[in-house]
Amino acid sequence: MKEVKFIYKYLKKELPFLILAILLATCLAISLTLIPYYIGKAIDSIDLFSLENSNFDWSNFYLNICLALAFLAVLVVFQYIFSSILGVSIERITKNLRNDIFKKLNNVSISYIDKNKKGDLISRTINDVDNINTALVSSFGQFYLGIFQILVTLVFMLTINWIMGLIVIVLTPFSFLLSYFVAKKSRKYYKKSNYLLGQETATTLELLNNIETAKSYNYGDIMFEKFKKQNDDLYKVGQKSQFISSLTNPTSRLINNFTYIFVGVVGIVLLIYASKNGMETVLGTTISVGIISTFLQYSNQFSKPFNEITSCFGEIQNGFASLRRIKALFDEPNDVDHGIKEISNNIETIRFENINFSYDNTRQIIKNFNLEVNGAKKIAIVGPTGCGKTTLINLLLRFYDPNEGKIEINNIDNLDIKKSKLRSKLGMVLQDTWIFNGTILENITYGKKDASKEEVIDACKRANCLDFIERLPNGFNTIINNDDSLSTGQKQLISIARVMLLNPDIMIFDEATSNIDTRTEMIISKALNELTKNKTSFVIAHRLNTIVNSDLILVMKDGEIIEKGTHKELIDNKGFYYSLFNAQFCD
Amino acid sequence: MEKIKDSVKKYKKELILGPIFKTIEVIFELFTPLLMKLMIDEGINEAILNNDYTKVIYPSLLILLFTIFGFCSTFICQYFASIASQGSGTDLRNRLYRKINNLSLKEIEKVGKGNILTLVSNDTNRIQLGIAYLIRLAIRAPLLVIGSLIMCAFVNINAFLIILTAVIIISIIIAIIFVFSSKQVLRVQEKTDDIISLSNDDFSGVRVIKAFNKEEDEIKKFSDNTESYYKEAKKNNLLNALVSPLTYLCVNGAAILIVLLGKEMINDLNFGLSSGDLVSLIAYLNQILTALLVVFNLVVVFTKALASRKRVNNFLKTESSIKNGELKEVDYDSKNIPILKFEDVSFRYEDDSNVVIKDINFDIFKGETVGIIGGTGSGKTTLIRLMERFFDASGGKIYFKGNDIKDYDLYYLHSNIAFISQKTSIFNTTIKENVAMNKEINDEKVIEALKNADAYEFVSKYQDSINHELTESGKDLSGGQKQRISIARALYKKGEVLVLDDSTSALDFLTDKKVRNNIKSIKNMTTIIISQRASSLQDCDKIIVMYHGYVENIGTHEKLLEKSRIYREIYETQVRNYERS
Repeated sequence: MKEVKFIYKYLKKELPFLILAILLATCLAISLTLIPYYIGKAIDSIDLFSLENSNFDWSNFYLNICLALAFLAVLVVFQYIFSSILGVSIERITKNLRNDIFKKLNNVSISYIDKNKKGDLISRTINDVDNINTALVSSFGQFYLGIFQILVTLVFMLTINWIMGLIVIVLTPFSFLLSYFVAKKSRKYYKKSNYLLGQETATTLELLNNIETAKSYNYGDIMFEKFKKQNDDLYKVGQKSQFISSLTNPTSRLINNFTYIFVGVVGIVLLIYASKNGMETVLGTTISVGIISTFLQYSNQFSKPFNEITSCFGEIQNGFASLRRIKALFDEPNDVDHGIKEISNNIETIRFENINFSYDNTRQIIKNFNLEVNGAKKIAIVGPTGCGKTTLINLLLRFYDPNEGKIEINNIDNLDIKKSKLRSKLGMVLQDTWIFNGTILENITYGKKDASKEEVIDACKRANCLDFIERLPNGFNTIINNDDSLSTGQKQLISIARVMLLNPDIMIFDEATSNIDTRTEMIISKALNELTKNKTSFVIAHRLNTIVNSDLILVMKDGEIIEKGTHKELIDNKGFYYSLFNAQFCD
Repeated sequence: MEKIKDSVKKYKKELILGPIFKTIEVIFELFTPLLMKLMIDEGINEAILNNDYTKVIYPSLLILLFTIFGFCSTFICQYFASIASQGSGTDLRNRLYRKINNLSLKEIEKVGKGNILTLVSNDTNRIQLGIAYLIRLAIRAPLLVIGSLIMCAFVNINAFLIILTAVIIISIIIAIIFVFSSKQVLRVQEKTDDIISLSNDDFSGVRVIKAFNKEEDEIKKFSDNTESYYKEAKKNNLLNALVSPLTYLCVNGAAILIVLLGKEMINDLNFGLSSGDLVSLIAYLNQILTALLVVFNLVVVFTKALASRKRVNNFLKTESSIKNGELKEVDYDSKNIPILKFEDVSFRYEDDSNVVIKDINFDIFKGETVGIIGGTGSGKTTLIRLMERFFDASGGKIYFKGNDIKDYDLYYLHSNIAFISQKTSIFNTTIKENVAMNKEINDEKVIEALKNADAYEFVSKYQDSINHELTESGKDLSGGQKQRISIARALYKKGEVLVLDDSTSALDFLTDKKVRNNIKSIKNMTTIIISQRASSLQDCDKIIVMYHGYVENIGTHEKLLEKSRIYREIYETQVRNYERS
């Protein structure tokens, strides 16, 4: 029920519209019932005329026709207003919900984003919200309208002729039960076939992603066998699923037609009985051809909402499942920032004090880490994968906070510094380049929207990417994205230019040049050297030759510093670093 | 030329029988109101006047029978529909998958992986659904409308004209709304795509966004996007909300008109309307209304299916640019004829695009170890792609064992060249199948290959060792582990030529060296190594230096240091610092 409370927050904003929609739906259901009633009464007038003939009073006939017309007008107008108000309000709810989800995802801690798959997060913002949208339309549109229609028709039928009414009431729920049963059965198969479809998509993706290897190892045929097997399974389930679900309409049609016949026959029998005995009423209920016609239409109208309600169940169920997923996201705590202080001057000192850190409280990633940096220094961190290099950067930028120990910047505990103020002092370039969908210019000026043309060109020149940008047909206005269009190296150069433009106090390079060839790397390294002149920089590098000039090299293994010093000291030391370094060059 | 039709044709029987059974149901259904009219107009009177109940009993029994028969025939139709649609969908999917295998990389890259994936899943589903609806409803709805109209004409010609007019008006309204709404649906879809692409950017760049303090900007950008989505969705809602009230208006308006007509013509014995007529006419009207609303929903399904059909047909139509040859095992003079020879080779992706490599000439003899070095975009990988015939050269010729590479059977060619791509490939299967890439697996050979690739140590740590099942794209392996399995795969194949495309980049230098030494000890193996590390290539028999798409120089390490400016530069940037220290 917490979920209902959660969604109510959004419904509340649309309450006037929703209430109006409900009122309109009420009028709608009544008009929908009254139109056949008045048409039936008009038919009665014609039927009576053929019996009485002369001096027939037609005023009742016209009255009924006018009433039918009036209710038709109400029906048309109200129905339009009802569906548009409802649809648009729900679209607004959708919009607000999506905005809030996105805001929330920007406010949760990075660990949450790291833990969840990207596709899953996107699916929450898109598919889950769509499901909720459908469920709301179903529950307010079909569900409410349907139930009300059933109630109104019920009351009407019983008032006009309780015997025929009873027949409809007894028979229609069968249609409901049958279609509910069919829907339940087909949902089971539907779920299964969706799962199999997902498996198949994975197999296709596997081939596409590894097409070179598959081709060169003649592996395609074997993969096809696997695909074919999955596809055969999918056929079996899919055929059943489709067959069963396609029976929904015919089965309810079957019941409808039965109802139609019974109502017709019973009505006719009652009419014959009444006429024969010269009675106006049978068992206290009137009967006429018009009433039969009305009932025949009702029997149609009465079963329709039942079918719609059954189809709603699935949608509402889906909506609830999606709502639970979204609610779980909102239950996630926000990334808290208790920091209020600012760093007024340039950063002079950075001190890591007895840092211990673990992502999951089981595997210790950083163990008792100590480091003090005074003034502008070039610090390099090397070591095998998984030794905790990147984690240090995560801690410095406060994407994560240490479990024990503290980091001080200019002698201020970094927990006390406002995150945004801290981060604006730090610039970083990561191994995985981040290019968003937009022009090259937008990508470069990401951190500084108001940068002048000269600044941009200067930054690009220093990052050595001006050449290739200007060679593109649209230059700086070329639309780029993360998928293709540029090589990894080019993308990295752009993200370096992005940081160059900002000129922050401290630079962090996490394997920044590992995807660039050594010649380009040399050219960039020059630029990076210039950028880090008189600045503190942290460099994580795979290729050791790029860091030999560092003031301090930290060799990490299993979360601890095992060696530290300048390149020369470490080489002389003939330890782990020495063996790593030598392997690059000597055979 | 391949087409979707070929898959559908296999279900000819179902495609013909399905609609026939559907037609039977519709005919049964059409008679119901007429029989009801018979009961009301004649049955009642005869029962009252003559005590003759036959005209009440027989028609009602007939309707009952019709209903049951109708249900049975529709049951059969739905069954045929599900077989035909799912069956042809399954067949189509198999064909698409085989097509992916048959096309060359050129075509696959042109269409795009994402699009191909959509073809196999979404597009095929839509076509499948289209076929099912074609059999089930496309026949039923028009037949019901036309049949009801004909029945109305039998009942009363004037009433028929009123109903016909109403049907025409509704059809026009539905058509107009449909034209607008199908465009609007596309616009809404575009906006959804924008939102997806933005979320994708945001979630993958979360660190950069936070480091640049750009959360607020991103949220603003996102809400701009949802706002424009809302605007388009709103228009779509307002448009679609018109359908149902307007159909109600036409149908009920026609019903009221018919009743008025009945009153006007009450004394006309020829064209007058009995109350039974009125009841049946209104029943037909209701049938028409339901059928028309079904048509409206169907049109959406069919437009989507048709669009998908076009895409799938286009893909099926694509011919592979790589033609298979027939040449298999050949004898050649391995002393004098190079195992691999490039002669004036050039390559461009499209006729009008830039040249990627040009004027490439070199020979590689059996047993040689050849290195290829050069910057990003210098064309190193393209050379490999041509050797493997992922692409064909745009100019010049490539010879394998003295014959044009195009004359060889691809299967033979591929089993002779063991290639390790830059991007490691791990398949969702056991380690041993990942190494053997075959169903028939020699466990000992697998272990030997793993050992040579320095991978057996971590593999043997799994409880089930080489039978360990790897996850999709090897998520639980490190980059280095994945590369080592790829190397083992190439070694298992025992091809005459081994090609390593930067395949040891994730290995630390010590492991890299160990693996290279293991490879070197394999006799008679021709090895081609692409690397960015000059140190990895130092011992090669020759090194090809690529620069901006052409061969800058070929020679041994020592010779290149003398005569190649590019090689010297690369070497020095990597070694200079070391020598200085």
